Amino acid sequence: MNSGLGIVIAREYLERVKRKSFIISTILVPILMVALMVAPALIMAFSEPESKTIAVIDDTGRILPRLENSSEISFVDANMPLEAAREDGQFDAILVLGNASVERPGESVKLFSHGPLTMSTDSYVTSQVEDAIESIRLEAYNISDLDKILEEVHVDLSLTVLDIDKEEDSATSSALSYMLGLIMDMMLYMFILIYGQMVMTSIIEEKSNRVLELVVSSVKPSSLMLGKIIGVGLVAMTQIVIWLGIIAIASAWLVPFLAAMPAASSEPALMGVLAQLSDTGYMVSLVIYMLLFFIGGYFFYSAIFAAIGSAVDNIQDASQLTSVATVPVILGIVASMAAINNPSSSMAFWLSIVPFTSPMTMMARLPFGVPTWEILTSLAVLYASFLLLIWLCAKIYRVGIFMYGKKPTLAELIRWAKYK
Amino acid sequence: MDNILVAEHITKDFSKHRALDDVSIAVPRGKVYGLLGPNGAGKTTLIRIINHITAPDSGSVIFDGHPLTAEDVMSIGYLPEERGLYKKMKVGDQALFFARLKGLKRAEAEKALREWFERLDIMSWWDKKVEELSKGMAQKVQFIVTVLHQPKLLIFDEPFSGFDPINAGILKREILRLRDQGATVIFSTHNMASVEELCDEITLINRSHNILSGNVRAIREQFSDNRYELSYIGAPDAVQNLGFDAQLAGINADGYATATVTLPGPDAVRPFLAAANAAVDITAFRRILPSMDDIFVSAVQASNQYSLQNQEQ
Repeated sequence: MNSGLGIVIAREYLERVKRKSFIISTILVPILMVALMVAPALIMAFSEPESKTIAVIDDTGRILPRLENSSEISFVDANMPLEAAREDGQFDAILVLGNASVERPGESVKLFSHGPLTMSTDSYVTSQVEDAIESIRLEAYNISDLDKILEEVHVDLSLTVLDIDKEEDSATSSALSYMLGLIMDMMLYMFILIYGQMVMTSIIEEKSNRVLELVVSSVKPSSLMLGKIIGVGLVAMTQIVIWLGIIAIASAWLVPFLAAMPAASSEPALMGVLAQLSDTGYMVSLVIYMLLFFIGGYFFYSAIFAAIGSAVDNIQDASQLTSVATVPVILGIVASMAAINNPSSSMAFWLSIVPFTSPMTMMARLPFGVPTWEILTSLAVLYASFLLLIWLCAKIYRVGIFMYGKKPTLAELIRWAKYK
Repeated sequence: MDNILVAEHITKDFSKHRALDDVSIAVPRGKVYGLLGPNGAGKTTLIRIINHITAPDSGSVIFDGHPLTAEDVMSIGYLPEERGLYKKMKVGDQALFFARLKGLKRAEAEKALREWFERLDIMSWWDKKVEELSKGMAQKVQFIVTVLHQPKLLIFDEPFSGFDPINAGILKREILRLRDQGATVIFSTHNMASVEELCDEITLINRSHNILSGNVRAIREQFSDNRYELSYIGAPDAVQNLGFDAQLAGINADGYATATVTLPGPDAVRPFLAAANAAVDITAFRRILPSMDDIFVSAVQASNQYSLQNQEQ
């Protein structure tokens, strides 16, 4: 009977991979993804950098010289009263620095603009004016060697986070880990929704095609369920591998093009990301754990979808029940967001043990470091509940064959389980 | 007798009714066994239990000398009444899939399939999708899939529904050929004419109970009420006046007449024939055996009346 499992997997896999819809979506999705990646780059490459000119009316005469221009924002002397500047219209904004700007900036400093400013402009102008006023105020104390003192006093800290339990310094960049967890969460969500439903549909299809009785007289329902879940999972894997291949080829062509553009390579954050990526041991273990949770999560939820498929007779009935599967997934993602903020809380711990939320929560927590025993417990619970669900589902399936079948009682389930 | 399958005291409940109540059957090896009964009698439930699809609440099934296990379905070929195929799948691929599920290797399955496709003259369907086939065509494919792995026991649930007379004839021929090769066939149907043609033994199930079992010939004898048909040449009323319970059934212009006579028992045949021989020229004499149709109806009605009386008491 074990060979039955392999045959079911092969059929589920080949029948799907050969379909036109599979081929079309496999080709179209990477084209769309590449288009999404390329479009902003092209827009950035071919559009002028947006620069803003801010007219300054400086009544104190001391602040304007200290304002520094950035690549996007330049400060110019208005050389005219406010009313005239407002009429003029060639400026993006007008910065008014009243007489008492140094003493009472809250009352005297004002910025006029057409509509709301972007956050970055707002904060850049604010910090420039603050710096200028601070340095003017400091000068008022007449401290000699002020510049030198300031230089010596200045601290620029980038925090190094170390694991208490480990000797070597395995610095983890939380930004990258966070992103990784988030991406895996979203992919898992998509995966469950698309391919989990495919498992469900496949089971219902057998009922509506009336193939079911022919199939169950040859193969155990549990092998059938497992075969469908693995077969569809392999289809998903195939699709993803093809996509990754296409993306890799596309980026091989795209990356030199992007790198050639200015201001793309000199980001210090990017350097940190690259440094962490090169820490192979850490990344390999992280990715392996994540894949285990990913596969476990897919298995667990597609088993729920399979159970729904077993219990109903048509797609219409199923669509109402699918929320039983989708709501916990969404809850899991929400919970994982909460877990990111506090990866070591007891809530995060329990969310990582309950199989409904553990794949999503663990995705979010893993990058921050989770004790191995906790990971293993969580994985064990996840995979055990998957097997239990498959077994349960096979029982529901057998009873579900009879539309007038009675609901199984616990005693009956036990008797079913014993029936070889 | 050598029985390939013995089901004893099978009981199966569903939420609203009892599908099988203490039903026992014994299927002799190498025979065609009819499982008869009105709609909803419990035939399909019994077949599902034999196929290990569902479990009985009580009772036991012995297959080929040992209690039925999941592995035994490999030795059973089952054509369900509710049957279909994967619509999007090609006929050949699909047949291979089912054959391999029944434990055949790919190469031997393909070889056997090609033989069957040739025999039933459907080789041109191999690469067609099932959705392109008519219902009757799909049924032929299902039939092949059922018998391909040369099971010891074949179970057909209403095999002829959806077949035209020509294809039904082909199917009957193949079923009998399989029996002659040593397979045992369980055959569930409402079609009583095909029962007379095919079945060696039957069981009649009505309202979850086994109400009649045995050899088809013996059952027909048992239900015959000693009626005979006499064809003769002579005076039309000559036979009626012999002192037996005889009625003129028909007469034609040439003076050939037919009468039916009900005798008190087989012992009365010789005296009756002697009397008739003296009175007319006998051209033919035969016993009238009831058709399975008649037996089915009278047995079911008798059992319904019996259970009705039981309820009233």
